[in-house]
Amino acid sequence: MTTLALTPARILRSEWHKLWTVRSTWIMLTAATVFTIGVGIAISASYEQDRGEVSGVDPVQFLLFGTQFSQIILAVVAVLSIAGEYGTGMVRSTMVAVPRRLPVLWSKAGVVTAVVFTATLATFLVTFTAGQLFLDGTDKELSLTDPGVLGTLVGSTAGLTSLALIGLGLGALLRSVPGGITAFIGGVTVLPEVLRMFPYDVMDSAAKYFPGRAAEGLMTLHDSSDYAATGPALLALTLWTTAILGTAGLLLKRRDV
Amino acid sequence: MRVTVIPGYYTLHLISRRRPTPPAPARPTIEDMITASELTKRYGGKPAKYAVSDLTFTVRPGTVTGFLGPNGAGKSTTMRMILGLDAPTRGTATVGNHAYADHPAPLHEVGALLEARSVHPGRTAHHHLVALALTHGIPRSRVDHVLDLTGLTDVAGRRVKGFSLGMGQRLGIAAALLGDPATVILDEPVNGLDPEGVLWIRNLLKSLAAEGRTVFVSSHLMSEMAVTAEHLIIIGRGRLLADTTVDTFVRESGAGTIKVVTPEAGLLTQLLAAPPVDVTSSTPGILEISGTDAEHIGRTAAAHGIPLFELTPHAASLEEAFMDLTRDSLEYAAHLEPA
Repeated sequence: MTTLALTPARILRSEWHKLWTVRSTWIMLTAATVFTIGVGIAISASYEQDRGEVSGVDPVQFLLFGTQFSQIILAVVAVLSIAGEYGTGMVRSTMVAVPRRLPVLWSKAGVVTAVVFTATLATFLVTFTAGQLFLDGTDKELSLTDPGVLGTLVGSTAGLTSLALIGLGLGALLRSVPGGITAFIGGVTVLPEVLRMFPYDVMDSAAKYFPGRAAEGLMTLHDSSDYAATGPALLALTLWTTAILGTAGLLLKRRDV
Repeated sequence: MRVTVIPGYYTLHLISRRRPTPPAPARPTIEDMITASELTKRYGGKPAKYAVSDLTFTVRPGTVTGFLGPNGAGKSTTMRMILGLDAPTRGTATVGNHAYADHPAPLHEVGALLEARSVHPGRTAHHHLVALALTHGIPRSRVDHVLDLTGLTDVAGRRVKGFSLGMGQRLGIAAALLGDPATVILDEPVNGLDPEGVLWIRNLLKSLAAEGRTVFVSSHLMSEMAVTAEHLIIIGRGRLLADTTVDTFVRESGAGTIKVVTPEAGLLTQLLAAPPVDVTSSTPGILEISGTDAEHIGRTAAAHGIPLFELTPHAASLEEAFMDLTRDSLEYAAHLEPA
């Protein structure tokens, strides 16, 4: 018999098991995937060059338009993975099993990263390939092997993964599923748009580095003045994620369960 | 409706790696003791409220220790501090001389049943236990074993959301026993259990203690603890009221009154009435005897050919003694007399 002891690898396995043994994970990952692919195919199939508002949109961002909604679903998966434990009381069982607490948060972050990154990248590759079937001969025709395309898809995936991790951090901070989801939608998608409403350039520039806008910028194949460049956007997302998860970890350690 | 049969009613055998045989008289060892030292938990607000204040006690292995107090006395808070869920404002709580969180395999050290539902309702009982087992590398066979032990094998694949209160308690106990712990901490384990379940818990606790484990179990029912525990720690409003054995508590509280109905009341009184035994009678033929036990009275009567029509230990008065002790410390007292 192996020795009974807590190890980081075992805690990670436990969190992996927990994620897949509740239905909501399956339902929401399916919903996010189907939505992204479905929207990508639908708008590609109905695309007519030089007509409508979408003609000016970046070709990769255009295909990944469904992520506007599925990024929220993915964040909800992450919020649920921790705030759901507070809502149900499961957190007491979890923290009695792992009384140092922090490994639980890092393991959840690891599991969310692995699942969201893998699922999103696969979804994006399918969406891209399927959408392009309808875009032959248009200005949005692209091939995976075109310069920058694969990189943009991977960058977009990284952006959505960061957003999910921010959702995890918010869920851990607020310990409430509705609170976490509200904070995510408000902070990540609404707040940057509010900032842009002000007639000051500095606020418009700052909004580019807010998580939602930074992740959106990563989906563009071509640089645009609307978004931060890839490097700074990735850096901003990393800093946001680190700061929110770090604060969540600090409070997890200090607060009573 | 299906009736769940609990296997091994009186023959509970846990996989015991380090405590294979019951120690004849339990030898208290520092390794498995629970120690609270000036344990204090203060909640903010005005005025600041002390859930627990200056609580000092030890819980020894090999016996069942009852943790008694009215609702709101601070029992759950104390247990949460022992398990590291709540940080004490002052003082320390240790298990086996270490803070709970400092053990390399916490679930092997302490198994805990906290407030009834500490489970995700959407997960099956089996998956819930597997998730906890994975953190420590506890084998799947042990998960099946504790499911069997708690009579949950047939419902292991069902989601916890459909469980009755009693099934939820059983799942909590299964989780507590998962790591084959040296110490077991159970918060109000008989809550929501039917009489069969109460009996099951009682025997389970005794057998765990007989295996040499430390068993610390809270209750607000003196009558339940009187038949389960050997040692008692009684608190009220977060303060220690008594740290004693059940026998001592019964003797000192005068709760051990025994009602005897006999046609030879005068003779029996003569035979028994000598300190510490006290015999009183308010109705001819009926004696109220304290300071001894039913066995002694019965044997004395038999030895002298005295017929006994009734020999009844007065359990209710034990509850009264507990209420006397905690009356001043009730958090929410009902006032029966008009103000």
